[in-house]
Amino acid sequence: MRVWLWRALVLLAALGLWEAAARMLNPILYVGPSRLPAALVRVLATRDLPPLAGHVWLTLGEIAAAYALAVAGGLWVGFVLGLRKSLGRIYEPLLATLYAVPSVVWYPSLMLFFGLGPSSKIAFGVLLGFFPVTLSVLAGIRQVPATLVAVAVSMGAKPWTLFRKVMLPAMASTMVGGLRSGLALSVVGVLVGELLGARAGLGYVINYAYGLMMTAEYAALVALVAAAVLLLDGAASLVEGRVKRWAG
Amino acid sequence: MTAAAPIVIEGVGKRYVTPSGPIPAVDGVSLTVRPREFVSLLGPSGCGKSTVLGMIGGLVRPDSGAILIDGEPVTGPNPRKVALVFQDPGLFPWRTALDNVGFGLELLGVPAVGRRKIALGLLEPMGLKGFEAKYPRELSGGMRQRVAIARALALDTPILLMDEPFGALDEQTRLLMGEWLVGVRRRTERTIVFVTHSLHEAIALSDRIAVMTARPGRIKDVIEVPLPYPRALDGPEAVALHAKLWAQVREESLRAMEG
Repeated sequence: MRVWLWRALVLLAALGLWEAAARMLNPILYVGPSRLPAALVRVLATRDLPPLAGHVWLTLGEIAAAYALAVAGGLWVGFVLGLRKSLGRIYEPLLATLYAVPSVVWYPSLMLFFGLGPSSKIAFGVLLGFFPVTLSVLAGIRQVPATLVAVAVSMGAKPWTLFRKVMLPAMASTMVGGLRSGLALSVVGVLVGELLGARAGLGYVINYAYGLMMTAEYAALVALVAAAVLLLDGAASLVEGRVKRWAG
Repeated sequence: MTAAAPIVIEGVGKRYVTPSGPIPAVDGVSLTVRPREFVSLLGPSGCGKSTVLGMIGGLVRPDSGAILIDGEPVTGPNPRKVALVFQDPGLFPWRTALDNVGFGLELLGVPAVGRRKIALGLLEPMGLKGFEAKYPRELSGGMRQRVAIARALALDTPILLMDEPFGALDEQTRLLMGEWLVGVRRRTERTIVFVTHSLHEAIALSDRIAVMTARPGRIKDVIEVPLPYPRALDGPEAVALHAKLWAQVREESLRAMEG
């Protein structure tokens, strides 16, 4: 309970500092938190900006698609490389090298391949979300204690049973961590994609407001995205905590 | 329970391939374990004791020789005849003590009600009554190992293989677990092969002790322990036996240390 109190205090202090700083500076460039609610209302009402709801849904759809593909691809590649040791030895270093390259350098190529529409944003979200999922599967497989496998095999477990009853639960803690990071990065990928060049979506609206120097509206939108991402990650962290407690 | 089974080990050998070349772990080990007998494999670290046990359990395939259980060659794990206990209890952290004990039965297709009954029947005499619903992290080291042993006993196999099962426990717990195992054995009439590097443990528990050489592991000597249970380890016979065993193990341990 005390921790919550402290957190609230820190948050309030940060907002206070932000407000104080903004008030001392040029109000066109610096927007304090007190101006955000009104700006948000204007974002929703104004005809200078594109209507928000459609863009929000589009972005959410892109995130859902990107994350679904990142998880599907990440799990598949992770399990293939992790369970087929010979393949893993060949491709794992490659994967690690690719992961080390700042992914944003690929984005122009993705725009060339997939165009300005949602596909390039989804592709970028997949690219970013894919690595943490894959790497967490690989790490998870390595962390399955050998004795657990030996126990199950000695009791006659066939490969599929071994996978389902031993490997998966033993990997769960590590894997949910990767799934959570993957979600966060898929969100980043889609939003960054929209900011760098799009004709629709939340990132596009943010860019649009910024381009028109509607700084208060811009700040309100950013605060909205931040709140949504916090909520999403909070939910993911609850799921992660549950799985970790279950898997011991 | 099926009748206790003899284990015939016929000249088994095993080499492990490492980056620096093949290492012979076990070389020409032959030993016959009689039904209901308690045989310890005793030897220095790395002498291949665990490998021999793994071969009996069907987890390790011998490069040469064969192992027969009830006259049939071992080709893989056989949970209806052989159960294994490892040094690390290897309990599934996401399962309660009860569900851990029921794991092997689950794989054999025993329904939940039957599993529960068998598991409860095993946990109670092991002093784990009231701990059925606890998770491994909530149990002490000795309790965990007892749950692991219960999980092996649950399969009701005629043969139980134990790979230094008390090796990770402290001295006191270890002694108590040994006494407890003597009791289990008397009640259940199993054939037990027990890997250890503790002379005391081997003397306290075994009908016969097979002393193994340093790598590559061979059987150096097989020694009878004709003492009644419970055994006093400070009695003259036990002390003499200890001295005799130590002379043999010391020689091999020195060889193992010198590489």
